[in-house]
Amino acid sequence: MIAAAWICLFAPLGAAIAITLLGQRLMRRGAGYLATTSVGMSFVAALVSFAGLLGDSPDDRSHPSTLWRWLTAGSLHFDLRILVDPLSVFMMLVVAGVGFLIVWYSIGYMDGDDEERRYFAYMALFVFSMLLLVQGGNLLLLLAGWGLVGLSSYLLIGFWHERPSAIAAAKKAFVMNAIGDATMAIALFLLIQRTGSLDFEAVFPRAGSLGGWAANLIALGLLGGAVAKSAQLPLQTWLPDAMEGPTPVSALIHAATMVTAGVYLIVRTHALFEVAPRVEELAAGLGAATLLVAGLIALVQTDIKRVIAYSTMSQIGYMFLGVGVGAYANGMFHLMTHAFFKALLFMAAGIVIHALAGEQDLRKMGGLRRFLPRTYWAFLVGALALAGVPPFAGFFSKDSILAAALAHGWYGQILWVVGMVGAFLTGLYTFRMLFMAFWGEPSAFAREHFHALKRDVVGISLAVPVGVLAVLAAFGGWIQFAGIWTPVSDWLEPVAPALVDASSLQEAASSVIAVVLGIAGIGAAWWIYAARRAEAPRSLPLLERKFYFDELYDALFYRPSVLAARGLLALVERPLVFGSVRGISEAIRSLGSETRTLQTGLVRSYALAIAATVAVVTLVFVVVR
Amino acid sequence: MSGPDVVWYLCVAAFLFCTGALGVLIRRSPLIVLLSLEIMLNGANLALIAFARQSGRQDGQIFALAVMAVAASEVVVGLGLIVAMARRRLDLDVDKLRTLRG
Repeated sequence: MIAAAWICLFAPLGAAIAITLLGQRLMRRGAGYLATTSVGMSFVAALVSFAGLLGDSPDDRSHPSTLWRWLTAGSLHFDLRILVDPLSVFMMLVVAGVGFLIVWYSIGYMDGDDEERRYFAYMALFVFSMLLLVQGGNLLLLLAGWGLVGLSSYLLIGFWHERPSAIAAAKKAFVMNAIGDATMAIALFLLIQRTGSLDFEAVFPRAGSLGGWAANLIALGLLGGAVAKSAQLPLQTWLPDAMEGPTPVSALIHAATMVTAGVYLIVRTHALFEVAPRVEELAAGLGAATLLVAGLIALVQTDIKRVIAYSTMSQIGYMFLGVGVGAYANGMFHLMTHAFFKALLFMAAGIVIHALAGEQDLRKMGGLRRFLPRTYWAFLVGALALAGVPPFAGFFSKDSILAAALAHGWYGQILWVVGMVGAFLTGLYTFRMLFMAFWGEPSAFAREHFHALKRDVVGISLAVPVGVLAVLAAFGGWIQFAGIWTPVSDWLEPVAPALVDASSLQEAASSVIAVVLGIAGIGAAWWIYAARRAEAPRSLPLLERKFYFDELYDALFYRPSVLAARGLLALVERPLVFGSVRGISEAIRSLGSETRTLQTGLVRSYALAIAATVAVVTLVFVVVR
Repeated sequence: MSGPDVVWYLCVAAFLFCTGALGVLIRRSPLIVLLSLEIMLNGANLALIAFARQSGRQDGQIFALAVMAVAASEVVVGLGLIVAMARRRLDLDVDKLRTLRG
């Protein structure tokens, strides 16, 4: 079981290294097969670990394993160790499983791209980073995985490096994530100072003795990292721009890896958050704010991938809400179902984009139901799951989060209302996208692209993962039905016991209201975009400019730093640094031009100088003696 | 030990050296400059040998032989340069050869 966990961790890294080292000797498609096989192997290994854990008694399901001592600094030492417990195995299954389908899908999607090998090496590295993050047995390895995830996302978002916008988006993602990494590192330093260790088993039991301000600061630092990685307010601006990468990358970032890391972090370190309840409530509040803001912005986006990106932000907001009020298992359950339906939506959108030769603008689509019927059905399943319509996956997980919020006092009730508004918005923006893309008369643009093509022909490597995910998005939610059948909560109970327990009435009320609101959203979308086939309602600058977050950060951070740099250039750099260098060089040059006049070129004057010197030296010797 | 005192030899050597030095400083023909250099070297050699004889050891004599060998090779190079200059019909005047001026 432990060996399987190590294989799960290192198989993708091995594939990444092998693809890099083999280079041109490897066939183009070979790289894809190698990466897919390795991630598939990870998934199988994760299944083996899962089976092994199932055999243990629920109280004895935590198995650390150390390879060797990794770092020593004085009395501190860090081991290269992983922790196999219900939470990490849960994440391993999601990451490796969904990651496997996405990498497989990439074989078809990236076929014919110039740099397929590089792409697959990065993808495998990405999966490895995420697995390191979730399997790491101490917070330092978690941070290492955290940073590697940021690096891989940077590499993949900027994969099409000849596009300036892709490079800018990659840099933006990296910088935003670096802010979170920094706050996390500060939190870890504080933890080392307070507890002298970063191992999970050593740190969490001592969380209670941290003291008020230290506990709050540590939790805040960790929350900063989680917010940056999971694209929550106020560090959310990188996520929509990250759509510059290839579509499977978006699927991987949004579904299996990266953005879910923040949720995982909070659940993993819940002991540290529980001693800082105000910070935990802040996490829930940020999640609620994000789900509302992202839902509103998604209403006016015209790029199909951006709509899905904002829906991701919004869904992660639900997860933050859930883990913030202490419903850890519900948050993780939503993470899993979200991974299914979000990967499905992205991949179906990828097929659409592929078929339309790279066009992502919803306004140019329309009537695609006729040309891509099977993709339409897959997309419909994903959209229904996203909107939380029973019996699809999103219904079970989202509603249990909302019910948990309702059980969390007056603060939770406010969040519950926000979540309900979000449910309505989710139905509205999801089906706006669906109706605009797939319903109505085929647009001129779509006809042009399809009249020569055969209908709905997609390669096997595109079709099979989408089909599998469609099944998972449809039925994946059935593994937990609040109040009656709760294997996910039971599984995670030993690692992260829930703080709230919603009553059956609260569950039922939340479910009914959320479903009614979701269907109302769908109905509104149908009325506006399908029945009347309207364009987007009158443009709302506030939403189209994404609540002016980019402009705000531009004014708050970018412009002042540019001004400061200009000032320093004029006041310090030019007079002091340049000035001193120029002065020294001037002095040496004038000294040289003075001395050169001594060299006359007359041999006889040299001889005279030598003779005179000898005479003087002789005289000195004689006199001194 | 017979013959004049070492001081006399030194006087002759100093006279030769000064004559040579004067020649180097005053004359402008490179040929004469070279000749004067040889005279200076011979003056120095004479002093070396005189001291060697006074001290009764052979170091100075061997040193003088070495100086002669160096002087000979120097003359070869110097005369070669002068011949080359003459071939190119350059003026044989050290004051006009001043392209190395700074």
